[in-house]
Amino acid sequence: MPLEIDPAILGQEFDHTRYGPVTAEELIAFARALGETRPEYTEPGPSLVGHPTFCVRYKGDRFYPESIPKTINVRTGFDAGKDIQLGVPVRPGDTIDVRSTLHEVYEKTGRTGSMYFVVIRFTMTNQRGEMVAVVDNRFMHR
Amino acid sequence: MARRFEDAEEGDELPTRELFIAKDQVRAYARAANQWAPRFTDDEGARREGLPGMITPGNMSMGLLTTLIEAWAGPGVLRRLGTTFRGLVLPGRTIRLCGTVTQKDERTRTVELDVWLESDEGERLVIGTATVALA
Amino acid sequence: MILDLHLHSELSDDSRAPVEAYLKLLQRKRAERPLDGIVLTEHRQFDPGRDYRALEDRYGFLVLTAAEVETDYGHVLVYGVNEDILARFDFRNVRLPAQELIGEVARLGGIALPCHPGRPTVGLCAHYETKPPLHGVVAVEAINGGSRKGEDERVEELIRRYGYQAYGGSDSHLVSFVGICATEFEAEIRSIEDLVRELKGGRYRPVDFRPRRLAA
Repeated sequence: MPLEIDPAILGQEFDHTRYGPVTAEELIAFARALGETRPEYTEPGPSLVGHPTFCVRYKGDRFYPESIPKTINVRTGFDAGKDIQLGVPVRPGDTIDVRSTLHEVYEKTGRTGSMYFVVIRFTMTNQRGEMVAVVDNRFMHR
Repeated sequence: MARRFEDAEEGDELPTRELFIAKDQVRAYARAANQWAPRFTDDEGARREGLPGMITPGNMSMGLLTTLIEAWAGPGVLRRLGTTFRGLVLPGRTIRLCGTVTQKDERTRTVELDVWLESDEGERLVIGTATVALA
Repeated sequence: MILDLHLHSELSDDSRAPVEAYLKLLQRKRAERPLDGIVLTEHRQFDPGRDYRALEDRYGFLVLTAAEVETDYGHVLVYGVNEDILARFDFRNVRLPAQELIGEVARLGGIALPCHPGRPTVGLCAHYETKPPLHGVVAVEAINGGSRKGEDERVEELIRRYGYQAYGGSDSHLVSFVGICATEFEAEIRSIEDLVRELKGGRYRPVDFRPRRLAA
């Protein structure tokens, strides 16, 4: 059924969640799971930083806003892709603030049928207010 | 050490990486990435969701593509990575990570890359582009 | 004359390819993919104001614009989009009536051709299993650069059974894959009007420039 979206809900922050402090163990486990061996990602010490995609670990406590159209079954869905703008790397001891906004909703058809696409933007900053990442997450729902 | 901007040309191909994605590696990633869910950890649990078996998280595919990029460009130079997950990446199989340089920007000393993950049969399961700041 | 009849620029929601980057690649890869131009088929939209003449002049390729729309019989490429066609059909609608689209687009001066017909759900083959065949289909996309194993083969049977003409396109969403499948025309084409005329006329064939291990 065609999708009706209230444009006013786009861009509104619907969640703010804080994570951390990040531990060295978390950073290392993530990098090693990707097969990384670079010491800057896998060895404890002052030079340790998070793998560039470490930011995908974070999301809001509420995944979608209350205002998401009820046509969309938010309980079932698949990750359709991500766009990540990277800022400063994550370091041990950082706290990460994640602010969530509904960026876009649209409908299209593909191999698996008719789907709704929901794009949620996570804007992530650390305790110094520095931008860690802006992640646009595209989820598809039938 | 980052690759020098002068050493990259439009059309350059990144060295292809071929690797076998083991189920245990996918489980380790799912745990480390806070994505512990049946679809990523258990064949039977994944089938109950209508999947053919456990699948590799799209985020993990992005991470693997990042390793490809950094192997060519050096660490810490990725500025943007955008991906579309077009097909299921099933663990227990060999995949290839590929990339090419598509554009150079003299003003910002960045290059644009096409990157993709393909199955051992050549199907492009994850496609994307990346912006990399070279030295 | 060889044209890639099906590809997407960054205007399409799932593509990341600037048009200029497509043309630069075609310039570099002339020997392997000897194309004369491209036809941009953006998803569910058409902007009549888009003008690529400056890029055409700079790189020496023909750049035409069309659209890929979604119908009750799968995806369809619409060439020769004009104001009348845009007034008649909302390209954002993912359930356009295919029979009406094909008939009306032809009447209004364009041509609508099913694409990737072998693809599950959004290809003609799947719909013909449960619905009557469409009238007025001139050609279908026999080779598509995004096809998975078996999908293009399914189209061969469709073409044989219904006598459709065959064309090819890359369906590229990344710069690197422009022109890997295309269409070779017997006549020269300089405009969208020429293209529509030649597509209706049938003097063309699909051509496959994919590396051997990827070709179906």
